Amino acid sequence: MGKRLVILRGAELAMFALLVAVPVAVRNPYVLGLLTLLAIYGVLLIGLDISVGYLGQVNLAQAAFLGLGAYTAGIVIVRLHGGIGLACGAATVVGLLLGALLALPSLRLEGPQFALATLSFTALSATALNEMEWLTGGAQGLSLVRPPLFGHALSAREFYWLCMLLLALVWMALRNLLAGQWGRAFGALRDSPIATDAMGVGTYRHKVAGFALGSGLGGLAGALYALDFQYLQPLTYVYELTVVLLMGVVLGGRKSLWGAFVGASLVALLPNLLSNRLLFEVISGLGFVFAIVSAVRGLRHKTMSRFQAVAPVIATGMLVVGGFVVANTEDWRKAIFALMLFSVVVGLPEGLMGFAAQFFSRILHIPPQPLPEMSALETVLPARREGGSTEAGAPLLELRNLRRYFGGVKAVDSVSMAVRAGQVHGLIGPNGSGKSTLVNVVSGLYAPTAGEVLLRGRPLPRGSLFDTARAGVARTFQNLQLFSGLTALENVMVALRGAYPRSRSLLLVLLGLAHREERRAQADALALLDFVGLRDQALTPARDLPYGAQRFLEIARAVARKPEVLILDEPAAGLSQPDIVRQMEIIKRVHERGVTIILIEHHMDVVSGLCDVVTVLDEGKVIAEGSPVEVKRHPAVIAAYLGAGP
Amino acid sequence: MNTASIATAAILTPALTPILTQLAVSGALIGLVYALIAYGFQLTFATSKSINFGQGELVMVSAFFSLTLITWGVPYWLVVPAGLLFGAALGLFVERAAVRLALEQKGEGWILLTIILGLFLNSVAENVWGRDDHPFPTPISSNALHVFGVTVTPVELSVAVGVFAVMGLVELFKRKTLLGKAFEAISADRDAGELMGISATHTVMLSYALSGMVAALAGILVSPITTVGPTMASALILKAFSVAVVAGLESGFGVVVIGMFLGALESIASYQLGSGWREAPGLVLLILALAVRPTGVFGKATIRKV
Amino acid sequence: MLVVTDLHAGYGASEVLDGATLSVKAGTVVALIGANGAGKTTTMRAISGLIRPSQGTVTLDGAPVHQLPASRIARLGLAHAPEGRKVFGPLSVEDNLLLGAYRLLPHFFGFRRRAAGDLERVYALFPRLRDRRQQQAGTLSGGEQQMLAIGRALMARPKVMLLDEPSMGLAPVIVQEVFRTIERLKQEGMTMLLVEQFAQAALAVADYGYVMERGRIAVEGTPAELRKNDKVIAAYLG
Repeated sequence: MGKRLVILRGAELAMFALLVAVPVAVRNPYVLGLLTLLAIYGVLLIGLDISVGYLGQVNLAQAAFLGLGAYTAGIVIVRLHGGIGLACGAATVVGLLLGALLALPSLRLEGPQFALATLSFTALSATALNEMEWLTGGAQGLSLVRPPLFGHALSAREFYWLCMLLLALVWMALRNLLAGQWGRAFGALRDSPIATDAMGVGTYRHKVAGFALGSGLGGLAGALYALDFQYLQPLTYVYELTVVLLMGVVLGGRKSLWGAFVGASLVALLPNLLSNRLLFEVISGLGFVFAIVSAVRGLRHKTMSRFQAVAPVIATGMLVVGGFVVANTEDWRKAIFALMLFSVVVGLPEGLMGFAAQFFSRILHIPPQPLPEMSALETVLPARREGGSTEAGAPLLELRNLRRYFGGVKAVDSVSMAVRAGQVHGLIGPNGSGKSTLVNVVSGLYAPTAGEVLLRGRPLPRGSLFDTARAGVARTFQNLQLFSGLTALENVMVALRGAYPRSRSLLLVLLGLAHREERRAQADALALLDFVGLRDQALTPARDLPYGAQRFLEIARAVARKPEVLILDEPAAGLSQPDIVRQMEIIKRVHERGVTIILIEHHMDVVSGLCDVVTVLDEGKVIAEGSPVEVKRHPAVIAAYLGAGP
Repeated sequence: MNTASIATAAILTPALTPILTQLAVSGALIGLVYALIAYGFQLTFATSKSINFGQGELVMVSAFFSLTLITWGVPYWLVVPAGLLFGAALGLFVERAAVRLALEQKGEGWILLTIILGLFLNSVAENVWGRDDHPFPTPISSNALHVFGVTVTPVELSVAVGVFAVMGLVELFKRKTLLGKAFEAISADRDAGELMGISATHTVMLSYALSGMVAALAGILVSPITTVGPTMASALILKAFSVAVVAGLESGFGVVVIGMFLGALESIASYQLGSGWREAPGLVLLILALAVRPTGVFGKATIRKV
Repeated sequence: MLVVTDLHAGYGASEVLDGATLSVKAGTVVALIGANGAGKTTTMRAISGLIRPSQGTVTLDGAPVHQLPASRIARLGLAHAPEGRKVFGPLSVEDNLLLGAYRLLPHFFGFRRRAAGDLERVYALFPRLRDRRQQQAGTLSGGEQQMLAIGRALMARPKVMLLDEPSMGLAPVIVQEVFRTIERLKQEGMTMLLVEQFAQAALAVADYGYVMERGRIAVEGTPAELRKNDKVIAAYLG
């Protein structure tokens, strides 16, 4: 346990202890009600933060899942006479299932379409709950009595503790999840969905699973809500609630359990804020002053655009002025939410916790966790000399009449070639000759228009990066596709996913039983970073690495897949001469461990130095094939590519 | 909505099939309004890949504004252009306050920000004009006409005339003026457009102004049939979303077809299943379309690039 | 005509240009060559304003332009035929050309009449475009698209024209045609900055050349001097 863990866990423990202790000291039913609501919103917003924060999607369905969960619990209790456990369980499952059902089609969409789909789902749920009177009681609502737990009738205080317990469990489970492979996968797919698929991680399935999990938590929160209020009315303000929940997450700070918690407190306290004029004035005044201060700072240091600085000042100014002018703040509720949210989204996009986290890490200086000893290279990247069913020299990867057209453009026009096991196979040709399209088809980014690709005689999946990656093909990208927000170590660890049995089981991860494997993954990833000479930069975010190091890192990440075939798309592009030499060394060492390599490159000295065979493409067709020396002398190659020479 | 006229039509027509035809025709005419609002999404999506989630509030606020002018005694044919200008101004406001910053940061903050702005306008409308629904007087007659055994009113027909006239004019602008071609150039390739000297920022502003204008027209056309009230925003916007997503965000022809289809479908559904289920077919259609064809029925597939 | 001093630019945190300095005199053709990823295209994009330089200056005809958006720079008379041609695919060939003259034409009506002369000139240069004037630009072959991109740039009657990899992905015959056109424009006195992968061909038409490496100019000189430089021979001409 390092100092870091002590501080982080200590803060969590202290907060929960405090929250549990409050009702013992303060016997005020109103305060107890607020705290219960805080716990419920906590669960709800942690769920919402998975999609809004970690997946980076605008999710407008969380209020619907709250409603669906509440009605599920209500129906289980009223119609089926189920207990608390059954009600909560059923609500969570309904949330999970409907979440998955909604996510399956709509997460194929990006941004606005996804937001539209979730919004429609919310409206559809509201309609269904209101109209299915035989089940939900329709406009009359649904009354229920909180059933006893293990034969013991819960008092309000005991119910609060139950909610707190559930919040703590959700908190711990999510922390375990997000600290491991899953959290990294979420980070990775936001930075580069294409590379996430190419590393065999599966962008789509992670998104669906993440969304379903968040919706399940929404359902659970709904059940607790039903048990707390013991009366359900149709979702009349569902759109407004949706916005308020988003406000909670954004204001609290995305991608942070603490942020969701802070957001939940704000959402729970919001009605009080509106009914107490003095409090409202104080808060909006504080916001106004804060906006002015940060605007002046931002403009002076040029960290903000003019709009970003001025708009929050205007919005909070309107709040302050409105507080004096308006007769009844309750009537202007929506406008007040809107102005508050507007100021935060524009002026403080990282939220309160984002702001606080920067502040605390500056004054506390929390050290990073120490890294484990690195593993032996042999365990991470076993040399593949014998073992395989294919003898060295036999064709490993075969392309047969492969075509890929874009509209009328024949980018790849009937290419046949064979890549032999254990060789480095070069692919050259002028820009636009179809090299990149060819490897994009082989690696599954594009489906071929016609023809097939065989690995060990078996056809590779068509048009799926993810499935192709799983079949044993790894690749790098011409335009770097690193997970720029993750560290070098994490970049490699993403690709190691699936190598460890326990981490594959969601349940074990949630229960925190995969920690040891997490350490092993770190050790393995370190060995690979050492392999490309980046061990000392393990904890540097990929975006801050020098350009050359980023290229090396892409290779380390691809090699972590233990691929049979490794496709390198212009690995030396833009590198300086010393870095090119280093890169060639790395590629040679990868090759020595028995990995078959397809190499696209423009630097002829790199091609000559590394390749056993070279295929030359022009206008989507193969114009020559042979050893580097043969190819260089080939008249067609000179005409189309190399030029006549001086 | 016009349940009253549908109900009347249903009672007056004896056989079932004519009822359904009648429902389909009235529904399709209302559907054109959804198509018009969805067309507003397409206009801004073309230039900036963004849409205004608060577009329903633009429809509603513009309708209220026009209603106020009418109650002040301004003649209807002056109210229409004034309402359109007001809508364009609101569109520009949305672009400036909610969209431009997010586009500069290449983020999706505009989704949240346009929702926020919509909420704000909604609250303002509630407090300025009240929460009740108001009738919207119009000089166009609402006496029924009988065409091929189907009853339509001139007010309903005016919707069709207005929608097709405006969409036609905008398409004409896009094809026949150099500025319109510049608009298309920016949609096709923003960078290349900039290299021709076309300002992308100004084009996006123009598209938001046009989109706001189209929203205002939708409000002015639909209000005589539905009345004006703060709740009209969310009712209309959801259907317009459905139309836009089902049809895809590229094809103007597509939104007209899908809009009319959806309008007909929901008016039949509310007759068969009860008026509470009115919204359901559109939403189900939407989710189905997403599952089967995420880029929309009339949309184009995109190519992933690396 | 065009002077670039100590230009720094990049995408996000990664800096691609690291202090590039070059200049193009009126009426000359200057070639910019270098390896893939050396920063040639980024230089072009920074000059024409598609990316904002983080440091350094660009002046066009004496006026500083590095703070302006691309559309303003274009209206001042800098035309850029970008890498990958970037024609407006859904629009017709003629519309593409008309948009090229956007800075000179009235924006609503009567633009066709005003542009007629310039259109004639471009069609005379590329007769094949005249045959396909009503065709959608996206359906043209790569070579025709390249000609359209050059023609579109010419329509602006530019003071300086940037040509980024005009030979990219084209068959050798077409490449020769493109270079003949460049030669012809040079005869007519057009000022050009040319980025090319075919160093040989580029140096053949150029009056002066720059070799770029890792975001800065490594070698410069007349084509004759560059052809003699060992480093250049090894890396690009060998």
